[in-house]
Amino acid sequence: MSDPLGLALTILALLLGASIVTACCAGRTFKRAAHWPLIVACGSSAVLALMLLARVAALETPSLVSDPVTWFAAGKLSVNFTIALDPLSCIMLAMVTFIATWIAIFSSGYMHGDGGYVRYFAVMSLFVFSMCGLVLANNFFLLLAFWEGVGLCSYLLVGYYFEKPSAAAAARKAFLVTRLGDTGLIIGVFMLWRLTGFATTDIATAFDIITKTVTDHPERLNELTIALLCLFCGAVGKSAQFPLYVWLPDAMEGPTPVSALIHAATMVTAGVYLVARCAPLFALSPTAQITVAWIGGITAILAAFIAMAQTDLKRVLAYSTVSQLGYMFLALGTIGAVAPAYAVTAALFHLFTHAFFKALLFLSAGSVMHAMGNVIDMRRFGGLRKVMPVTHITFLCGAAALAGVPLLSGFWSKDMVFESLYLGAEGNSPHTGSLFILLLVGLVTAGMTAFYTFRAYFLTFWGEVRIPEEAGHHAHESPSAMTIPLIVLAIGAVGIGAIVEPITHAFSDFLARTPRLVGAEEVHGFNWGLAGVSALLALGGIAIAYMCYGKGGPEVVPAPLEPFYAASRDKLYVDEVYSYSFVKPAEWLAFMARVFDLLLDSLARLVSAVPRLFGAAVRPIQNGLVQFYALSMALGLVVFLTFIVLKIAR
Amino acid sequence: MITLWHYLAVAAALFGIGLVGFLTRRNLITMFLCAEMMLQGVAINFVAFSRYHGNLHGQVFVLFIVAVAACEAGISLALFLAIYRRGRTLDVSTWQSLRERGVPLSVDDVPLPIAPPTEPDPVLTPAGARPPQSIAEEAVRV
Amino acid sequence: MTLFAANLNPATGQMLLALLLAACGFVFLLPQPRGRSVAGGIAALIAAAAVFGAWLQESFGKPLPDMIGTVLFYFFASGALGSGCVLVVQRNPARGAIAFAFVILSTCGLFLLLAAPFLMAATVIIYAGAIVVTFLFVLMLSHQDVVSDENDRSREPLLGSLAGFAFVGLVLFTLYQEHLPTAKLPPLPAQVITPHEQVQLDAVAAQLAELQAKLHSESKPTSEELTAQLTKIEVELGNVVGLPPTNQLGFEDDGSLMRRLQIRVKDAQGERKEEADPQAAAVLARSVALRDLAYTTFRDLENQPPLTSDANREAALRSLLALRNEVRLLSTAGDLPARNVGNLGLVMYSEYLLAVELAGTLLLVATIGAITIAHRKGARA
Repeated sequence: MSDPLGLALTILALLLGASIVTACCAGRTFKRAAHWPLIVACGSSAVLALMLLARVAALETPSLVSDPVTWFAAGKLSVNFTIALDPLSCIMLAMVTFIATWIAIFSSGYMHGDGGYVRYFAVMSLFVFSMCGLVLANNFFLLLAFWEGVGLCSYLLVGYYFEKPSAAAAARKAFLVTRLGDTGLIIGVFMLWRLTGFATTDIATAFDIITKTVTDHPERLNELTIALLCLFCGAVGKSAQFPLYVWLPDAMEGPTPVSALIHAATMVTAGVYLVARCAPLFALSPTAQITVAWIGGITAILAAFIAMAQTDLKRVLAYSTVSQLGYMFLALGTIGAVAPAYAVTAALFHLFTHAFFKALLFLSAGSVMHAMGNVIDMRRFGGLRKVMPVTHITFLCGAAALAGVPLLSGFWSKDMVFESLYLGAEGNSPHTGSLFILLLVGLVTAGMTAFYTFRAYFLTFWGEVRIPEEAGHHAHESPSAMTIPLIVLAIGAVGIGAIVEPITHAFSDFLARTPRLVGAEEVHGFNWGLAGVSALLALGGIAIAYMCYGKGGPEVVPAPLEPFYAASRDKLYVDEVYSYSFVKPAEWLAFMARVFDLLLDSLARLVSAVPRLFGAAVRPIQNGLVQFYALSMALGLVVFLTFIVLKIAR
Repeated sequence: MITLWHYLAVAAALFGIGLVGFLTRRNLITMFLCAEMMLQGVAINFVAFSRYHGNLHGQVFVLFIVAVAACEAGISLALFLAIYRRGRTLDVSTWQSLRERGVPLSVDDVPLPIAPPTEPDPVLTPAGARPPQSIAEEAVRV
Repeated sequence: MTLFAANLNPATGQMLLALLLAACGFVFLLPQPRGRSVAGGIAALIAAAAVFGAWLQESFGKPLPDMIGTVLFYFFASGALGSGCVLVVQRNPARGAIAFAFVILSTCGLFLLLAAPFLMAATVIIYAGAIVVTFLFVLMLSHQDVVSDENDRSREPLLGSLAGFAFVGLVLFTLYQEHLPTAKLPPLPAQVITPHEQVQLDAVAAQLAELQAKLHSESKPTSEELTAQLTKIEVELGNVVGLPPTNQLGFEDDGSLMRRLQIRVKDAQGERKEEADPQAAAVLARSVALRDLAYTTFRDLENQPPLTSDANREAALRSLLALRNEVRLLSTAGDLPARNVGNLGLVMYSEYLLAVELAGTLLLVATIGAITIAHRKGARA
């Protein structure tokens, strides 16, 4: 246990073991105890991950790579099983296991009495395992394998209620849409492999080789740019960025804790992590950077706009996740414009705080849903302040953090994103204009974020008490298995940001020690003006929301704003556009293929009819009489032998 | 003087007669005996050639033929018993359910001749019992 | 017949007639509900048997020096074939089984004539003792006293008979064709030579074949090689059959075979001339003939070296082939019945050991299989 790498492998083994134990051993007898393996494994993993954090921080150079073990080899391609520990992966690991632990505890209350209890926890364990493996992997193909594992688990969990057609469709959509991105990722990985001169697929080594290659041969920069854009395709799919974000809102069909896990800890952060992990390469290619930034910016404002008129509480949160992920990519897009360490720190810090408050918000929404009898439409309930006091307070904490209310976690991290953009726009990068525009976009989005968050809050918790009939007599506060995780996460959402960054700078200091990330010295800046603007915008958004929705629902929309409202409510018709531009042509193509297939089939049937007719003619000789068969055999032999004897006889 | 050819000719005739029996007779047991007869024809061939060549390989082969025939006899006896228990008949044509779908069951056209009524076996009266006879007959006998 | 290269002569016609008659007989005799004619069938079969016997005698038979052997052969052969016919046409399967027993007994007689006493005993024990009894047991299970489908009907009597006898006809025709050019083949020979001599003779035959192949091939051997090999063969052959009185080596050698057989023949002749061992005498005569043939052949080869001209080579090949055939015939002369059982055991447990083991395993498996199949499951049956 002394070896940090051993600790990391122990974490993986614990989680995988939990999954297997749950799947195999939890039969009917232990069905009610199916949540224990996950909780125990996650909890101990979280403790181990924190120990690991301390260990790695104490190291001189905080980077450890395990001895490569050949996983498989084919021709020139040799894929190793090897893991790497550095501040980036340590932070991710700790965050993932910590959040997952509380979500697991919450799940044991939320999923209580559900039919697929065992399946749920088995797949959850596998999900966390895949994410931890993804974070630790030090080989592109190993990373790819865990990446697909994450995709598979998300498919299984989103489609958890598979008997519901909408859930099945959502799972399929999530899988197929992310698949689109994954294709890019695979191509990108192979291109990177080519860039290393087919030498290695280990991430750390590949970075060094590629950096050297591109520095020595500037003409190969284009190749690298294409490879990085392909990689980014994978990130866009997995992290639900424009134009592939459409699966995420539909993924709300899964159980709410699953949404929390997908949004906060496991699935969507994979894309951000991938780009952050490849930051040394992105730093070489300005085109790739600005593409990342633009995609992030577009996603952020688009999703925020859509979120403003959604009536489904979980969908509001889902779009807000998309929007916040856009922020992270915005920060990552400044890798070249500012020091890579700064950009990565900004993105990861936002990811970190976002994990807390988004998990909190989803779990609170789940708590509301639990109490309301699985109704999540904000038009049908309201004024739950009195009914669910704990949930109300925790949701408020999360909403305030998300909105960027000063001094809460979200405020600090969002501010860091803006600062990185601002520094980028001020600096001497070739895309300063773009970065400035994107800064404005980010600020506008911040205001919109505050507005839609508090709109949801007011609609849910303020005004008259309205409870849907599905809730029956269950409209009460949730059990302690659900409220305790809420409280813990709420404390995290409120305080963790301030503790780790502006007060101690522990986060950025630690992260900046990641090998191959340069520019650590620029990290500690604080731009009062920018912070003030963002705080003003956040408070302004909240104020507008209060003015509009302070009395609770149902909401009234002024006539001049009606078109905008409709556009937002209908998600800017993106799904319809996709349907007409991609799905319908594909269906038409499929139809034509079917017609063609039928033509071919009939041709084949025509050919096959000949032997069939012949068969019908000779079928009567198959009369089942043994002696008839023997007689035919003997006669045939006689004819054959007669020919032979008379032909070759002298 | 008897040459190899004589034996071969007789063996061929024995084989052919067995073949005819196997192809035409419908009793499973008769069919089996005919098959054994074909084996005997082959055995004569082997022994004759063995004699002709002056070595013993042919005779060894015949020994193996005998061994295989014994196995065959055991297995087929068991099979006949099993079949007989199912259908109460040893007619090989009873079992034609493996024919192609749509092919009609083959039935025998010509009816069998009616067997002459067999006389019932005589029954002895147990000792000491009075045979069931009428008083009148009794009187006649006395 | 241009399509077929066969020559059809009156003998073949005779054979075809016999087969047709036999087929007709079977068609008449096979049990059928209608159109069965026992008298006609028997008549046809007897006619067929007469024609067949005549054909057999005419085609293969020679003047009869061995009267008893011939009579016994015809007795057993007709017994086997006649009983076989009874088995095939008999309606009652129990009687058929008895006919089968007679087939077996007749076959055993033929085995004895062929000097296979062990096989005779084994066949009698296994078939007559085991199989027939077993089948009588089975027959007791079925009812034979009523008219039934299985016993009183035949499937396709005409086609079946034709198929069977066409088969016989093919075999006989082939035999006849094979028989024609080698009509002077000796009767089944008696063998008095020891296995060691047999091995030596076989080696000589193999060397002769090798020599022939060498002469035949493109790369001709040198004359020194040829002479060396010829001398080697001559010496080896001389070890068995001896050297003729007038040879180049200047001395006479009898060879192992000659020495041994001369004693046997002389001993027998000493007392009563007519009781001389005919087989030994025959082998002796053959070996002397072989000795002389070998001598002339080798001298010819020396006088007309085969390497000098093509004509010489052809002649050498021809004479070598003749010599090889004679050597082979001598080495494969039949064995004496008295030594049959022991030799059979020797062959079986030396050359066919694996096959014997496999046959034993097969028997065991068959036993288990029979028990399993015949086992009455539960109280269902």
